[in-house]
Amino acid sequence: MDTSIISNEPEDPIGAQLDEEIASLQSQINSLKSNLKLQTSTILSSQATRNTLRRLQKPTQEPRPQSAIPSTIPTDTSPLNSTTTAQTLHNTTNLYRACNSLTTFRIHDPDPHAVDNGSILALRLDISTSSKFIAPYYIVLNKPFPSSPLLRVHRHTLPPYIPLAHLAERYLPHGKGAVAMGSRAPGQKRQDLNKFARALRREVVAYHNRVAVIKGLRREFRLDKKGRGKGKERERVIEDVSAADAEARQVRIEWVDGRIGRAVVGDGGEVIKCVVMGEGGRDWESERAIMGGRMEGVGERLREGIY
Amino acid sequence: MSGLSIPTIFALASTQLLPSSHPTVHKTFARLSRPSLLSLVLDWLDERNQELTAPYLIPDDDEEFDAQDLYPPAASLDSLRETYSELQAGKGSKRDVVDRVIEGDWRHGITLYQLAMADMQYLYDHPASQKWTALKLARLSREEESPDPAPKSIPRFHPATFLRNLQNEVLPDVKAHYNLDRHASLPLLILRVFIIESPYNTSLALAQKHTTFDTSKTFYIAFPDDSPFVYVSLTTSLASSGSSNPRSENKSVRALVLEGIPKAFSRPRERYKLQPTNMSARNLAALIDRRGGGKTNAAGGGWSIYTEEKKDGSDNPLNTQLPTPEPSLPDDMDQLNQNLPRGMKRRAHEDNNIVKRRKLLAQGRFGNTAKADDGKGIERFDIRLADAFPSFNFANTEDEYPLPDERPVKRKGRRSSITMVLDDGAGEEEDAGEFRPDIRITFQGSHVFAGVRELVEAGVVDGMRMPGWMTGEEGVSCGVVREGRIRGERGSGL
Repeated sequence: MDTSIISNEPEDPIGAQLDEEIASLQSQINSLKSNLKLQTSTILSSQATRNTLRRLQKPTQEPRPQSAIPSTIPTDTSPLNSTTTAQTLHNTTNLYRACNSLTTFRIHDPDPHAVDNGSILALRLDISTSSKFIAPYYIVLNKPFPSSPLLRVHRHTLPPYIPLAHLAERYLPHGKGAVAMGSRAPGQKRQDLNKFARALRREVVAYHNRVAVIKGLRREFRLDKKGRGKGKERERVIEDVSAADAEARQVRIEWVDGRIGRAVVGDGGEVIKCVVMGEGGRDWESERAIMGGRMEGVGERLREGIY
Repeated sequence: MSGLSIPTIFALASTQLLPSSHPTVHKTFARLSRPSLLSLVLDWLDERNQELTAPYLIPDDDEEFDAQDLYPPAASLDSLRETYSELQAGKGSKRDVVDRVIEGDWRHGITLYQLAMADMQYLYDHPASQKWTALKLARLSREEESPDPAPKSIPRFHPATFLRNLQNEVLPDVKAHYNLDRHASLPLLILRVFIIESPYNTSLALAQKHTTFDTSKTFYIAFPDDSPFVYVSLTTSLASSGSSNPRSENKSVRALVLEGIPKAFSRPRERYKLQPTNMSARNLAALIDRRGGGKTNAAGGGWSIYTEEKKDGSDNPLNTQLPTPEPSLPDDMDQLNQNLPRGMKRRAHEDNNIVKRRKLLAQGRFGNTAKADDGKGIERFDIRLADAFPSFNFANTEDEYPLPDERPVKRKGRRSSITMVLDDGAGEEEDAGEFRPDIRITFQGSHVFAGVRELVEAGVVDGMRMPGWMTGEEGVSCGVVREGRIRGERGSGL
């Protein structure tokens, strides 16, 4: 027993050292790999590369005498060409996704019993919030009705606080009297995918903007910072700012002195209603400050009143 | 203890004491494991909980001190905390701890709050002890009313208001104790409702021996965050087993509380009703996944790949790097054979490519869901096939179309090894010349869809021909299949 412990002792530091080395090498490999990928895509995307490739392609058709080994050129360039094509395509797709934020694609439902032979139209929403793109939302539509080309929402990845059912009912009705988008038939309830997508995008963006505004207010009043009491020139006035409901339409503001406010934010980001209650009843001044404009400016307007 | 008992409409207070000798107290504590009980006791001894869970300490007037006392009262909270910490560190029987709590340090009684805490602890320790049914809170609107331009999709849940309203809905001759608790790991708020059939909310009413608190008088309502659903731990359909059932009155109380839930959510000009969602499971994580506040509600099975956030940022439109192709297989071929169910005799020369193909197929159909270790399994899945006989027969696909790599003899053995119960209903009927047999299928197991996935990967179920509802993408635990698809009331997407 003793010998094993003793013999283990000197091995440990070496083993630890080796492990450390391995780990550092691994991370190095990973960073190099990602670097390589980044460089590859950058080089492939550049116009100069594409020109070069085009030039390289030519000798394959009419091999020139000065090229040393003409037979190797096609094997070299063909994967390069395909990668370039894929990269160009990817860049274009990304451009649409980034600028348009609403893109569509077709997929196939793997379910063998899927309606309409599994043909499916998917909408993809790329929303950016706080100067970052978040994971996209998808809405998958199919045509479940054999006799008419009416669309219906099949699957989606929208959280429940986006009123998708309501929007679908309004813009993509499929009940009695519903008329498909392209058809000439008269009907009160006409499906309109464009309006649906726009309204949906509006809802999603509005939600994320509301959340971002609340985050911004928290940052403004330094509520998320750990070391608050640094002896800054301003003392804390606002205790907490948070969303009071799932849709972030209602904002709850708490003051340090115990006042509690509730503001209702409209679709466009403006403050619709506001109540601030203190110990001595309503605080009309703060209410006026909050009510006087858009939600983004609440912090500034409150500050004006305070300092 | 007050001498007078006056009927009241208020709920039972959390500070209400239950005599320690009450059988319910002992039963509740004895259910818990020793470590859980000890951590619970230490919670009770916390400074912040003293209002509700104060122990019995040495009284100021030392007259009552009894040398014969088996568990002499402690002098201070700290010393008591030490005692229980020592118990926690050491070994011993659970009985000793229970006795110590009941006869020693809480001899003056157990508050309802403590009882609720113990019950909640049991629920956390045994997550599968309750069967939860998901219900949807839907806006109730009159027909003639034009729909609101922007209706709120989720009713706002304010615990205090909700409890007050719920209490108003419950009959005045029934008292209930409500305890709200935040689930430790899931985004859930769990309300424990504990019903006592007495119009009084005094200790006297509680102390009566004949007021038995069986488990049927306790039930739970879970409120997932940011979600229009509630989960209730009681059956929504009241079994009509006859009025002679002594528990029928409890059921009526439960039904009453159930009816009270949407009313408690409602406000003037904003009324709600509860809708069934065909989803019930013992696993709360599975319910959160399918009826929660996230993105996964309407994107189950293979669609779940759209809900996943890509770690490498390939979803980001500003990322110029070409997305790397999906990893073909999550695990090595060596691990493959270990993952297969036990007792599976595979042909030695089975081509690895076929196995690989099946794995890929399963990946395509199930995405990254239905993994045996994801902890989101439902334990029962009921299906009724309402299809005409000749057109669709997918329940028997494996019998009709022999797979290239499975012999029929082996398939038979497989069928019996999984707990797939095929209930052939008796009510066969001819409908417009079509033969529509009443076929009910019940899948049972610890994680039904993981089992189906394993079968696909093992080649027992053909992944190509398998209907979509077998992947769990519909997000229901019972349903009627017509034309190969689950028929919902409102369609599958919404």
